[in-house]
Amino acid sequence: MIVAGLGGGDGIRIVLETEEAMLLSELADQVDSVLLLGEADDPALGRLLPNAYPEDLEASDEFTRYTRESLVDGKRQAAQSVRDATAVEHPDDGVVQIELDQAQAWGWLTFLTDLRLILAERVGLDDDEDDADVETRDDYLRAAYEWAGFVQGSMLEVLDPIKP
Amino acid sequence: MELGVPSRARSCQAWRVTPSTLEQHDTELRDRVVADVPWQAIVWDDPVNLMTYVTYVFRSYFGFPREKAERLMMQVHTEGRAIVASGNREQMEHHVQAMHGYGLQATVSRAET
Repeated sequence: MIVAGLGGGDGIRIVLETEEAMLLSELADQVDSVLLLGEADDPALGRLLPNAYPEDLEASDEFTRYTRESLVDGKRQAAQSVRDATAVEHPDDGVVQIELDQAQAWGWLTFLTDLRLILAERVGLDDDEDDADVETRDDYLRAAYEWAGFVQGSMLEVLDPIKP
Repeated sequence: MELGVPSRARSCQAWRVTPSTLEQHDTELRDRVVADVPWQAIVWDDPVNLMTYVTYVFRSYFGFPREKAERLMMQVHTEGRAIVASGNREQMEHHVQAMHGYGLQATVSRAET
């Protein structure tokens, strides 16, 4: 995975190995599904759509009523745009190159955040130390979590370089 | 949508300084302060979000200079929360909705007076 600035200074280029693009596409599809099908009591949804008024049930419900739909729409659009941009059309090329303008880059940044919030919530939920399947799954989720953070961090180094 | 408490009109008797008008002045002043800055948008610490991401959100969304964005981000990180905006309730809800859009944990609350 490589992130570089575009010549004009406005936007970035991301180069992914075919396997990385396929993984990201799959994860983006899963985030979209969580947002579309997630049960109301799914703690991961609580991370994506936090309670704005933890101490005021009535205000909390009202805030949810007015904001939930547009928040879910925005997050689903971000996930879908990542899923579509990472769809591998020519697996033989070995790499997938994606160019993003500032607005598209924000979609990726927020998607990667939502993805990491979901993964953080999923890891270790069924913590049964004797269950090898769960451990393997958690290892996979942890690796995806770390990798998504690496992609996001690399994007930020280009989008918001810290001057010495 | 509940808006801030409107500030009370100044009494035309205000020039007559008696203990009761002094008291009334105090009340009016307090009402005005409460009406001006009654609500806050608060961002809470979340171990998931990268510090560079939180700083970039504060810079991009609020237009804060880097120094202020980093100071607020560090406050979230070390103290567990930071007040990122104050104003009327509707504006604060708007900011908190935006923060949720960015994946930050944020709440609306009445400013402590």
